[in-house]
Amino acid sequence: MTILYNRIAVFRAERGVSRRELAETVGVNNQTIGYLERGDYKPSLELAMKIAAYFGVPIELLFSFRPFESVADTLRRAAAAGEPQ
Amino acid sequence: MTLLQRMDRLVYATRLDRIIFMKFQPRTFRWSPLLVMAVLVVGYVLMARTSSSPNRSFLIGSTLFYGAFIVAVFLRHFGPAAASRSLDERELVVKSRAYAISGIVFASFAMMSCFYMAVASAGLWGLWQPHTISDWITLGFGFQAAGNLLPTWIASWLEARPKADDED
Repeated sequence: MTILYNRIAVFRAERGVSRRELAETVGVNNQTIGYLERGDYKPSLELAMKIAAYFGVPIELLFSFRPFESVADTLRRAAAAGEPQ
Repeated sequence: MTLLQRMDRLVYATRLDRIIFMKFQPRTFRWSPLLVMAVLVVGYVLMARTSSSPNRSFLIGSTLFYGAFIVAVFLRHFGPAAASRSLDERELVVKSRAYAISGIVFASFAMMSCFYMAVASAGLWGLWQPHTISDWITLGFGFQAAGNLLPTWIASWLEARPKADDED
């Protein structure tokens, strides 16, 4: 079975949003957000789009069939790119 | 304060509103439906053995059976396959899968029961079969209780275990 990776927890932490707040906004049980974050449940397209719209990002920034780069790697890459030549 | 207002307050004070308006998180029941099912069977056996001449054993059997019947209704009401609560898409998926599996199990069981009754009614091997009206009616209630327990039990196993941090 294909694994659908997501970065809901990262976005939620970055925006300081609780599971309950996100769940209420997108119209699901807050446990469902927990299942989504752990990859125990794959959302419908409708739910995925609602979550992406809530964070104001394209859906592919939140969900991917390939593992997302870790935050540490992203920061390291960003720091390397920002260094003077 | 009028009587109606007092009664209204009492509903909220006793938290009955959480049950009436289904404001609670569903619970998973992974083992209790099996226990209730076993009590149903024991109760039915005790009742069926003495249904032609009810005695103390019949009374114990009917207490066990109908007690388990009521518990089965509660388990369904509070479990993940509850009929009356509004469910989100994940819960609906779990519920539909649980009912689909229950349907297959019930169909297979009904088929096996028909075969069993065919053999029992032919008088082969002295197999037991329901005789009295009470036997048949209780059997009907037993199927209803199983219809409550089976989806609850299956849905409870289909649900991934929630983590402690799910309640933030």
